[in-house]
Amino acid sequence: MDMSSSYQRVPSVRIREMKDDFLKFELRDTDASIANALRRIMIAEVPTLAIDLVEIEANSSVLNDEFIAHRLGLIPLKSEKAVNMLLSRDCNACDGDGRCDFCSVEFTLDVKCTTDQTLDVTSQDLRSSDLSVVPVDSLGQNTGSMGDAALEQRGILIVKLRRGQELKLRAIARKGIGKDHAKWSPAATVTFQYEPEIHLNETLLETLTLDQKREWVESSPTKVFDIDQVTQQVVVVDPEAYAYDEEVIKKADAMGKPGLVEIISREDSFIFTVESTGAIKAADMFLNAINILRQKLDGVRLSFDTQEADDQFGELGAHMRGGL
Amino acid sequence: MGGGTDQTGDGAGTAGLIPEPVPLEPVTYTCGDCGTDNSLKPGDVIQCRECGYRILYKKRTRRIVQYEAR
Repeated sequence: MDMSSSYQRVPSVRIREMKDDFLKFELRDTDASIANALRRIMIAEVPTLAIDLVEIEANSSVLNDEFIAHRLGLIPLKSEKAVNMLLSRDCNACDGDGRCDFCSVEFTLDVKCTTDQTLDVTSQDLRSSDLSVVPVDSLGQNTGSMGDAALEQRGILIVKLRRGQELKLRAIARKGIGKDHAKWSPAATVTFQYEPEIHLNETLLETLTLDQKREWVESSPTKVFDIDQVTQQVVVVDPEAYAYDEEVIKKADAMGKPGLVEIISREDSFIFTVESTGAIKAADMFLNAINILRQKLDGVRLSFDTQEADDQFGELGAHMRGGL
Repeated sequence: MGGGTDQTGDGAGTAGLIPEPVPLEPVTYTCGDCGTDNSLKPGDVIQCRECGYRILYKKRTRRIVQYEAR
């Protein structure tokens, strides 16, 4: 197949900021379909572990069994292991109900309040059968800023007990994806935006008085522009703060100066922001998403239907074979 | 229990009891007024034997109850 006539592009990634639970990067030379596919896969198809089955032995707390089971399910678990685990429905080694290392991790919780003080039952009271699979913050590596560090140390609150109340249960965590239930989603937020290109019309700007410049700069709801203290010229301080609200364009029109600024969005480059729940690292979320997208494309590429359709869509077929 | 719920054992919808052989024992109920345990048989008048109060609460099952965390 003649590759020169294909749609193939070679996208590139430039990482701007990377922390365990946060990732900001630029994705260039591709289009919105790929960017959005990656975003959606990160949210709904990157597998993690979450509590899925709860066997309650004793519960005399104020919350009912279903309520507690639901709360346990929503606790994010460290899921680095999830990629190498099986979905319980694909696991032949067990009946999917009990202790199986290939598809599940067991947790136990046994707490009773014996004092007059209210006892907080948190994610730290959960005993895991696998030391690598634990509730997110109990490793103490989520060093949040200042005050909430102490708060995070206590774990995620499940229920509060008064004197005499008891909670005893066994929970099975399983691998799953966000599509099945949001508790399996590793994503807190995943967003992308087009990179804006802002061109100021310098000559037209010089026809404005300083007060008019100030008025125009302040018409933007986000701080995109500012006035240089020395030269008193309007400068673009943060193009990415622009929310495509067009307020500055409307303002320029209203001031009788249309064309003061031209803003174009580059539709082949994207700025991604990925925030993780802590279940897996934000960077791993992205890498896993690429692998999952690849597998999906392989599924299309290798299917018999595609081979046949190639005759009809020759050029598209070349695009598919070109990889991402 | 805080009292007031009628625990039938079977959780709603997807939850259910784990089948396990449990020796038959008389069902005891707690009086809503004085709190004493009453054992009732089918056909009995629903009334506390100690104080005559007519609201009795069924106790939570001692068996393990299974739920889907969804």
